[in-house]
Amino acid sequence: MTQTTSPSLDAARELLREWPVVDGHNDLPWALRERVRYDLDKLDVAHRQDADLHTDLPRLAEGGVGAQFWSVYVPSDIPEPVAATLEQIDCVRQMLARYPERLAPALTAADMEAARAEGRVASLMGAEGGHSIANSLATLRALHTLGVRYMTLTHNENVDWADSATDAPRVGGLSAFGREVVREMNRVGMLVDLSHVAASTMRDALDTTTAPVIFSHSSARAVCDHPRNIPDDVLERLPANGGVAMVTFVPKFVLQAAVDWTAAADENLRAHGLHHLDTTDEAMRVHRAFEERSPRPVATVSTVADHLDHMREVAGIDHLGIGGDYDGTAFTPAGLDDVSGYPRLVAELLDRGWSSADLAKLTWRNAVRVLDAAESVSRAESARRGASNATIEVLDA
Amino acid sequence: MSHLQDGVPVAAGLDELPDDPFPGGEADDTLRLARAVLERYPVADGRCGLPGVLARSGRCDLELGGSAVDTDVPRLRAGRVGAQFWALDLPEGTGGDRALAATLELLDLARAVIAAHPEGLRPARSAGEVIDARNCGRTAVVLGPAGARALADSLPALRALHTLGLRVLTLSGTAWAGGKTGLTRFGEEVVREMNRLGVLADVSGAPESTAHRVLALSRTPVLCTRSAASALRPHPDNVSDDLLGALGAAGGLCMVPFAAEQCGTAVEDVADHLGHVRDVAGPESVGLSGAYDTGAAHPAELDNPSRHPHLVAELLRRGWSDTELSLLTWGNVQRALRSADFTARAAQDRGEPSRARLADLDGG
Repeated sequence: MTQTTSPSLDAARELLREWPVVDGHNDLPWALRERVRYDLDKLDVAHRQDADLHTDLPRLAEGGVGAQFWSVYVPSDIPEPVAATLEQIDCVRQMLARYPERLAPALTAADMEAARAEGRVASLMGAEGGHSIANSLATLRALHTLGVRYMTLTHNENVDWADSATDAPRVGGLSAFGREVVREMNRVGMLVDLSHVAASTMRDALDTTTAPVIFSHSSARAVCDHPRNIPDDVLERLPANGGVAMVTFVPKFVLQAAVDWTAAADENLRAHGLHHLDTTDEAMRVHRAFEERSPRPVATVSTVADHLDHMREVAGIDHLGIGGDYDGTAFTPAGLDDVSGYPRLVAELLDRGWSSADLAKLTWRNAVRVLDAAESVSRAESARRGASNATIEVLDA
Repeated sequence: MSHLQDGVPVAAGLDELPDDPFPGGEADDTLRLARAVLERYPVADGRCGLPGVLARSGRCDLELGGSAVDTDVPRLRAGRVGAQFWALDLPEGTGGDRALAATLELLDLARAVIAAHPEGLRPARSAGEVIDARNCGRTAVVLGPAGARALADSLPALRALHTLGLRVLTLSGTAWAGGKTGLTRFGEEVVREMNRLGVLADVSGAPESTAHRVLALSRTPVLCTRSAASALRPHPDNVSDDLLGALGAAGGLCMVPFAAEQCGTAVEDVADHLGHVRDVAGPESVGLSGAYDTGAAHPAELDNPSRHPHLVAELLRRGWSDTELSLLTWGNVQRALRSADFTARAAQDRGEPSRARLADLDGG
């Protein structure tokens, strides 16, 4: 299943040398916090860390990754979301300082292209959840100044101004302040990420934004009916918006049998008094015991390719990308076990008749185009208006 | 006087130009002489509370001025203010993550206000940028001090605030600085990281035990951004002769506020405190702190930032030398800023950012 050579795999590797992968979402910074309190001496990603991580520099190179949006995720129930987010940003900056020959700081599409030309991994940052700005547009601007280039509007829980896909509907999409957040993101040049948000929020954001949006790690709901995936009516709007849906690999979102199995496994973790997203050793032990009783359905490269085929049909080839969610998920599909796996996905798509030009758009060109477009919108918007000082107290009163 | 080498020679006769908003009626030669002194070595003002006032009462056009503010661009020009520290003061009781977010908001506001007045103000993050602003005829605005609560007990937050422009932090008001222990192990790590980044330590309002510990630790001058002499007038924020001596010995800087509560109600009272600090700490360890827009009541003749020449005139009458005055108004602050830059550049080559955490160092 994870063969290392074949004509299409060789062709895929060749293709990725020119048009490497832009990955929309990787949780290495949080994994480093949880495992080693950011001590890269204890978990040096310059070397393979297969036992502990999905991600390290050798496997990024093997996987043909040319740009990575590092998630500066913090849980939405953390008591100090702003400080914790700054800590995650700090972690990415330490990584950049420590591995300058492999990682290139990137804030713009031009930076991404420069990194590609140098053979370094362009490193961008994305915040995962509006809770990171604590209802403060000044904090949003501070995150942008510190290098964050997208913000997912919610994580698994609602924020005061936007509904999440995996929480009970509250404001019914975006509140007035939520729309102001989107406008301010347009103005400063921060991509609006619609992964994790409710379909109503996706639609409200598309109605509001003047810049292309992204889905940093979401697949197609028509292929696998999970709220974390994108409904077809939203995918259909991407050509007009110009945005990009970056397919995710997370088995419990992409494979129906895995969706069902995960519901049962989560229930089992909760029965043991653990949070269902816990990835500590203890939680993994409990998980493994469950798995022995009830074998885990295995997603494959083909499962992910099925999503891409569908998304391509609905949104079009210019609106696809990749967001693996490595180190943010306990399980990965067979063949896409870690960040070295992308060539196998590209090979699968080659076998399905995708052209080299199509694949260049999927892996690199669409995502870079979207960031470039967001920069243009930002230039235009900031010429028209100054920073917004709207408050949630006034707008959502 | 090598630390004055960046002092800006100003073309002779500049003070004859008709830019004085209050011409006539001031035949006082001493005042004219004070203005001439300040043309060469302008005022570096250690504390202005404008961001907090504008956050509360709404922004205003600082070219036109506003009834809610003491500080505006014409007054800064008239007062020969070449540089000003903008304090990021939080409302009472703001703590935890909210203190950090509120500080990000004040930084954001300060940056926007500075950007909105490019003819008058210019942001400065280093001694060199202060000189650049001065050479362009702008008032350099250095962001800080912020209170220690702004860090939310996090060194990554300190690094982020530094990236966003913060250059002074007041070490009081938290469990790790300014409490019973003076400075805890985490507090010491904060001071080291401030040295590494180039963030000046301010110990005004901190217990003297904290101040002494910071003085012992810091590799770069320590400031009191709003402290007069408690030997002349007891006040919680004023400092003892003992601390003034230590500050002088360590090359630190006591910036005397134009605050009636701390100095007295007359310009002569401020001059008394300045003279005392100069005598006890030394001429290289005394500075000015307008304390405008901080809520403090000011001596009548020093009610807004255009009045600095009146204070300098008083000091001239008291026999302060040109050298002493140049150090007082400008030179000492330049030395502190340059030392912070230099220490940081050297330290960053040697070591990595600290990963220390409050819970690890102080227990809890």
